[in-house]
Amino acid sequence: MHFVPNPELGNRIITLMAALVLVLQIAAVGQRWIISSIRIFAVQSFLLGAIAAVIAYFNQASHIYVVALLTVFLKAGLLPRLLERLVGRIGIRREIEPLINVPLSILVTGGLTLLGYVVAESFYHPEETSARAALGHNTLAVAIALFLIGFFTMVNRRKALTQVLGLLSLENGLLLAAISLTYGMPLVVEIGIFFDVLVAVMVLGILVFRIRETFDSMDVSKLRKLRE
Amino acid sequence: MTELLTNSGLQLVLLLLVAPLLSGMIKTLKARLQTRRGPGVLQSYRDIFKLLRKGMVIPETASWIFTVTPYVVFGTATLVGLMIPMTTTHAPFSLFGGVLAVVYLLALGRFFLALGGLDTGSSFGGLGSSREMTISAIAEPAMMLAIFTVALGANSTNLSEMAKVAVGQSWRFLAPSQMLAFAALFIVLIAETGRIPVDNPATHLELTMIHEAMVLEYSGPYLALIEWGASIKQLVLMTLLVNTFFPFGLSSNWTAQTVGVGLVFYLAKLLMLACMIVLVETTNAKLRLFRVPELLMVAFILGALALISTFLF
Repeated sequence: MHFVPNPELGNRIITLMAALVLVLQIAAVGQRWIISSIRIFAVQSFLLGAIAAVIAYFNQASHIYVVALLTVFLKAGLLPRLLERLVGRIGIRREIEPLINVPLSILVTGGLTLLGYVVAESFYHPEETSARAALGHNTLAVAIALFLIGFFTMVNRRKALTQVLGLLSLENGLLLAAISLTYGMPLVVEIGIFFDVLVAVMVLGILVFRIRETFDSMDVSKLRKLRE
Repeated sequence: MTELLTNSGLQLVLLLLVAPLLSGMIKTLKARLQTRRGPGVLQSYRDIFKLLRKGMVIPETASWIFTVTPYVVFGTATLVGLMIPMTTTHAPFSLFGGVLAVVYLLALGRFFLALGGLDTGSSFGGLGSSREMTISAIAEPAMMLAIFTVALGANSTNLSEMAKVAVGQSWRFLAPSQMLAFAALFIVLIAETGRIPVDNPATHLELTMIHEAMVLEYSGPYLALIEWGASIKQLVLMTLLVNTFFPFGLSSNWTAQTVGVGLVFYLAKLLMLACMIVLVETTNAKLRLFRVPELLMVAFILGALALISTFLF
């Protein structure tokens, strides 16, 4: 007899982990130390990989396992390692005050999450009572919230490195939306996105390093000044 | 009627006796985790008995508020303790009020404590009171939002009703809204009991103390009452946390056997939560005072998200 996993249970686990991902994102917004932000990102990516694995298991979609493995290795392992090395080389450990102060940023984050839910609500069709529809509803909201908060982090932070982290969490949101709604795009597309992100981070890493070399600061607002 | 009497009697004894034990246990565990020997588990009892036998020094400038405060602090904490379910789903004073009464009785105790700090006119007392009020201004709404999330799930603000519903669906804490509410309430617990990222219970350094600064002028039996009240308040908040989110083992009827099982489960859950608090206290450094509102803002947002997600999920 073939063992059929209970989709209700899978749904619950995924929703729970998606909520955890969201909590981590809110924690990252309140975080000042660059190293801690990177570690939060690593844990978040690991959770995302776990979500992918759970989706793969409960829907018997074996190609999502590849996505899960790639996420865990690249985003939870390699990228944080690269970024930490970069932080070590630049020698800057703390973020300066963001443009909007932290309590207000956290409030904004809450508002953005709400917006995510409102947007996701319009995709929700209660007449479709299948677990799949409900699953898409919950995780889509979290994914949109991640996306918006990633944007907000990029706008709000001044250091180029934390802006890179904002971009990465934005990408995490995209990945969550993709795997939870469509149960995985074609594998080629996924791998393409992964290498895109990897190359982007490497290029941005070099760019950040160069900015630091040239301007003695990672503060992007100083880029306005032209120098010989 | 006899049932009500025995129930409240048992709960009162539990409250008064377990609270200092729990404080002592947290101190001992913390010391062990930092590879110190630390005081014994019973040290809090010894402190209270020692203080109760000592004389008192009351500042000349103190008014009646100074003398009333210890009783109010102790009384409100005990009263709240009788309103929340501990070993059975039925709290002795459950008819008396719901979560709102709990929140506001705790606020009353805190208000008097802040007044008592201000009353003597010493600068440290005023400093402690102002800090306490700054923190509680954000901690209180966060606590309310988190508790309302649970109340919404049970369709009642009565804590006994909430416990009954929770026992019926004991795996409910896996729902995201419950988890968010738990995280919010845990941060509030840390803030309200004056634990490390927010306040250091073991220091009298003027730069950092909050709770200790308010009670600096108290001595003897009054100090004993305040400290005992503070540990009861801690027990009450921890009970609220473990019994609303993890209602395992709460007995729903009144027989010796189920109450015994409930008691064992209750103590085990408390011990686990104490271990969590010890871990947080040991692995974190105290936050700068101006960073504390940021932490509490996270709790507030988590509470708000929890409440919102009960409507949406």
